[in-house]
Amino acid sequence: MIDFSSIQKPQRYIGNEWNVVKKSHQGKIPICISYPDLYEIGMSNLGLRIIYGMFNEFEDVVCERVFLPGEDLSIKLADNRIKLFSLETKTALNEFEAVGFNLSCELNFINFLKILQLGGLALKAKERIETIVFAGGIANPEPVADFVDLFYLGEFEEGIGQFVEVFRKYKDKKARLEALSGLDGFYVPQFYNAAICSNKYKFDKLYNSAQFPLKRVYVKDLDKSYYPLNWLTPHTQIIHDRVPIEIARGCPNACVFCQATKLYKPYREKKVSTICNIAKNIYKNTGYENISLLSLSASDYSNIEELLDTLILEFKDKRVGLSLPSLRIDDSLGELYRKLLFLKKTSLTVALEATSDSLRAKLGKKIDVNKLFEAAKLIRSLNLRTIKLYLMLGFPEETDEDLLSIGAFLEKLQHDTGLSLNVSINIFVPKPFSLWEGVWMCPEEILEKKIKLVLSSLRRKRNLNISISQIKKSVLEAILSRADRNFSSVILKVFESCGNVTSENWPVWLAAMKECGVDYRNYLKSENDNYPWSFIEGSKISGLKNCEGR
Amino acid sequence: MQIEKFSVSLKIEKGGDMIYFSQLDLILILTRALRRTSLPLYYTQGFNPRVKMSFGRALKLGVAGQEEITLYFTEKIAPQELKEKLLPQMPQGLRIIEVV
Repeated sequence: MIDFSSIQKPQRYIGNEWNVVKKSHQGKIPICISYPDLYEIGMSNLGLRIIYGMFNEFEDVVCERVFLPGEDLSIKLADNRIKLFSLETKTALNEFEAVGFNLSCELNFINFLKILQLGGLALKAKERIETIVFAGGIANPEPVADFVDLFYLGEFEEGIGQFVEVFRKYKDKKARLEALSGLDGFYVPQFYNAAICSNKYKFDKLYNSAQFPLKRVYVKDLDKSYYPLNWLTPHTQIIHDRVPIEIARGCPNACVFCQATKLYKPYREKKVSTICNIAKNIYKNTGYENISLLSLSASDYSNIEELLDTLILEFKDKRVGLSLPSLRIDDSLGELYRKLLFLKKTSLTVALEATSDSLRAKLGKKIDVNKLFEAAKLIRSLNLRTIKLYLMLGFPEETDEDLLSIGAFLEKLQHDTGLSLNVSINIFVPKPFSLWEGVWMCPEEILEKKIKLVLSSLRRKRNLNISISQIKKSVLEAILSRADRNFSSVILKVFESCGNVTSENWPVWLAAMKECGVDYRNYLKSENDNYPWSFIEGSKISGLKNCEGR
Repeated sequence: MQIEKFSVSLKIEKGGDMIYFSQLDLILILTRALRRTSLPLYYTQGFNPRVKMSFGRALKLGVAGQEEITLYFTEKIAPQELKEKLLPQMPQGLRIIEVV
């Protein structure tokens, strides 16, 4: 085995968290799951924890975890010909019957391949004889279709029982894939042919019983659905070092740039009593200092005040911090925050997206900015230190005035609240399944101009921190989320030519695309209904017109 | 208002996998272990209250050995009670040797 004392942050690889599940593999189906990034990041993912808990509820299944090893351990593994192993029992990845990945973040695709390779698994699905590599959390599976045996489209809580059932019934890979491909939500890329005929994506099934068209599956009863009460508690700090408790899934709003509206539909809520029970149990099992109430829009939760009152009563004396990461600014803002103050320090985050009212209206963002300024006095009294603000740029109908309004807005907000501002400005990426999936992605040259314009409107000030996402990174994110099956070869090339670099390495991507004869701009132009992901239910023609003019 | 505090000292042994966890991690581990018990914990006063504890000499990362820790409570706690309540909450590799 490895001597961890010469490795940086060995805590990542020990797998002895409080509430960890360690089972013998004897007579059980061994499954390993991963969020393809470093431990501290991967352990902050809720989906991974739900699936880990659910798999381990089955007596005849043992589910373990693996994350991306740091650079030093990767080298050590390769040098000593040791295969990457699961945290719990240090079993090499290629000894598992299935290895699952959360691929919700496109920029992790290279990490995903690296984990496969270090774990002794062939990268291409067709070259793996026994192990099934499955993946979920992804909107458009096509760019990684060559590497993954089985995708789950939608929320895996609904399909996990069927998955285990098939693994019990059939023992070889092919039979398992065939059986699963006939079930809702399961997608086996090699059973389908994806081609481009006269510039149109064409999709046919090659295996008779496979589902077509493909459906996304949603949890029907969120209130009764599984939640991991034996919450894995790391003995070291992770990025989001708090327990997220999901209060609702989906979003009742329909902002045009957001995937969530369609990826997690319909909007569902857990009952106040259910949430309180979960919180109480998790606290008892972990002793965690912070609980965060997770949903895409907490203000839309029907009984938010009742929920907070109940939780505050429960946790007031236990010194548990409560946070609501997604509040909308409206009438209840002040009242809600006043409640939270009874607990620990809170922070205020506002996802405004645009500072100009007209642009916000176009985006379907229902926020009344005046409410924020009206609440300014109250905000002052709340003992907050900073306000975090999310903005976006690069929208098709955005004008120079829209962008220039950012500077004045921030100045006024800072003046009225007296707080420091952390502003993060993201670049609009037309994501599959969002209402604007068919809109063009703003070209790099124009993005550069837009960013310059925004910066020109800002006066350098203390307590004003602005971060703007990198153009190349956003473009890459757009390509990786929108590309077709041909792009698997580009990803493979990038991985092979520099398996160790970060995925943001733009020139390497450019060279690989050139070599594979891929013009990335094809993935970023405006479209009507011809997407690589059109075969999955839920994609629709965008309502927006005249978006290419600018 | 000043809250009275009562201290209990204990000696613990760090071994097994726990040798890879730093002194900072140890604070986190003990804090959470204590919070899982029903013991009347003493919190530091200030903007960001923490479970109060103090340490003797810290062990180097990767080294097994013993450490002395003092814990604080708002009521008097019998050493035996502390041991009984804390023991089931301690991760493998952290052994309570004695409580005084």
